[in-house]
Amino acid sequence: MIKLNNINKTYFGAQPLHVLKGINLDVEEGELVSIMGASGSGKSTLLNILGILDNYDEGDYYLAGQLVKNLSENQAAEFRNKLIGFIFQSFNLIPFKTALENVALPLFYQGVNRKKRNMMAMEYLERFGLKEWAEHYPNELSGGQKQRVSIARALVTSPKLILADEPTGALDSKTSAEVMQILREVNATGITMVIVTHERGIANLTRKIVHLKDGIIESIEENDPDKMDFTKEIK
Amino acid sequence: MFNRDFWSEIFMALKRNKLRTILTGFAISWGIFMLIILLSAGNGLKNGVTGNFADRIKNTYTIWSSSTELPYKGHKAGRFIMLTNKDIQLLESLYQVEEVSPVLSKGGTLIFGEKSRNVSMEGVKPIYKNIEGIKMIEGRFINENDMNNKLKVLIIDKNTNDELLRISGETSMIGKTVYINGLSFKVIGVSKGMAFGEMGQCFAPYATLKAIYNINEYYQLKFITKGLDTKEDNEVFQKELKRKIAALHDFSPEDKRGVWIDSEMVNSLETMRIFNTINIFIWVIGIAMLISGVVGVSNIMRITVKERTNEIGIRKALGAKPRSILMSIVMESLVITTIFGYIGMICGVGVMEIVNMIMESSGGMSDPNGMSVFVNPTVDISIVISATLVLIVSGVAAGFAPAWNSVKVKPIEAMNYR
Repeated sequence: MIKLNNINKTYFGAQPLHVLKGINLDVEEGELVSIMGASGSGKSTLLNILGILDNYDEGDYYLAGQLVKNLSENQAAEFRNKLIGFIFQSFNLIPFKTALENVALPLFYQGVNRKKRNMMAMEYLERFGLKEWAEHYPNELSGGQKQRVSIARALVTSPKLILADEPTGALDSKTSAEVMQILREVNATGITMVIVTHERGIANLTRKIVHLKDGIIESIEENDPDKMDFTKEIK
Repeated sequence: MFNRDFWSEIFMALKRNKLRTILTGFAISWGIFMLIILLSAGNGLKNGVTGNFADRIKNTYTIWSSSTELPYKGHKAGRFIMLTNKDIQLLESLYQVEEVSPVLSKGGTLIFGEKSRNVSMEGVKPIYKNIEGIKMIEGRFINENDMNNKLKVLIIDKNTNDELLRISGETSMIGKTVYINGLSFKVIGVSKGMAFGEMGQCFAPYATLKAIYNINEYYQLKFITKGLDTKEDNEVFQKELKRKIAALHDFSPEDKRGVWIDSEMVNSLETMRIFNTINIFIWVIGIAMLISGVVGVSNIMRITVKERTNEIGIRKALGAKPRSILMSIVMESLVITTIFGYIGMICGVGVMEIVNMIMESSGGMSDPNGMSVFVNPTVDISIVISATLVLIVSGVAAGFAPAWNSVKVKPIEAMNYR
């Protein structure tokens, strides 16, 4: 699903910052992978490159068999829209749109007509128990509800890959556990998922843990989440 | 692309910032409003002034007799030069001259029944009506038949006509016989006239007066030219003509006086040049006002886009193409400028239509002889169309720079923008 060959990325500011120093990584279809690392290790940058939200300087990135390099803005938008679903720490819902409209937005950019996309969006909201909240605005929702709306939004286009940047970073431990449960269920339907986190408890729920340090992959740890005890708090 | 969703997004964005939208729009409304008012006023002035001469033929000349200013070949200065038949022959020999109408002037007393009135009687040819742009209120002007048969027919001016009707109690002077200096004339027409004060102005056929009074000297010669289209052509012709007439009458060709040669074409070109200058001036002021409105819109759009950077980043992450973002911002700006521009335009046109209505019902701004200075101060459809184009161009221009900036920024930078 994802194949990274020697990815390099430097931020050219007043002081050039070499954040990614040759990343090689393969993620198979249907895998649940977490990327761990301290802040500044380059994990967010890596996720942004995976999501084509940022570009890289050197190397090759293959997404679903296609080389993602020097894409035009139009091609990048198409890739993001069709292949990738995003889940962010700060939810990134549009504040003046209702939960339903937020979930329907990616379909709008696919050119799906209003009736059909509202129907599809409603289906996904229902799946995450938010049917009654469909007409509410984000500021009327709790953190957990917001994150579930954004998961619904990420899934509504049936993407091949879900990228989650600290999906539980703004949530309390109980809600975090719920959200992680949802993400694991989503992964169980065969959607590849990459989660960036700095919390060991979250990473422990994934099958493969990539440890990133100072822009290089330190180690890749195989993990069996089913051994984890869910009765215990994950933080 | 421009479906219901697209427009509802734009109107939502405008609605969210109602006050800002209205304040921005006001600058545009005001700019267009003032542009329309200024252009209408300019038009009114132009219509008023040029309307007085509108029916005149433009390529006409008048030569006036006058006294000399310089001594020449033993003649003293101050000699009065009367125009003669030789001048008419000279004019008729010039290839630039199409037709000459000498003006015979004869003062006298017009008598109709009990009423008498001082008038000046001008003996003119039929072409004189076009040269001077004389407007007939009733009846007709002199024709070729009057000339050929030397008929004693008369056109009287409106003031004289009104006066005679008032005294006599008649309803029309047409067909009535009046006496001037003892000679009977049949009235065939009433002209709007350019008479001043108590003196009436009448026209009779040139041939008739020439036969009666045997006049061979003239105060005025009028003629129509052909092929003199530019100011330069006319100036050359004027100088050449002056030299020839000076030779005929033995006065200095350098003499500024002697005879006056007056070109309607040069006058009219001069007048048009003044109005064109005024018009350009108005457009410059109007556009400058509009630019300040456009800069306002552009500025507001810049702030709007800045505030919406996060939202734009999210939209990009969800798969919004650059074109859709660019279009939504440009269209938002365009919607503000056109809607508020049209409000301004409608107000401006409305105000000037009301002014026009009031002026028409109160007789307008004109002097007692019907010489107008301000007529129909409204703009025509072509100006409304060009103002619309200006609005559209300025709306797109105002939105484009901010929109382009938001398109260029990377989605992750936009999302992280605080």
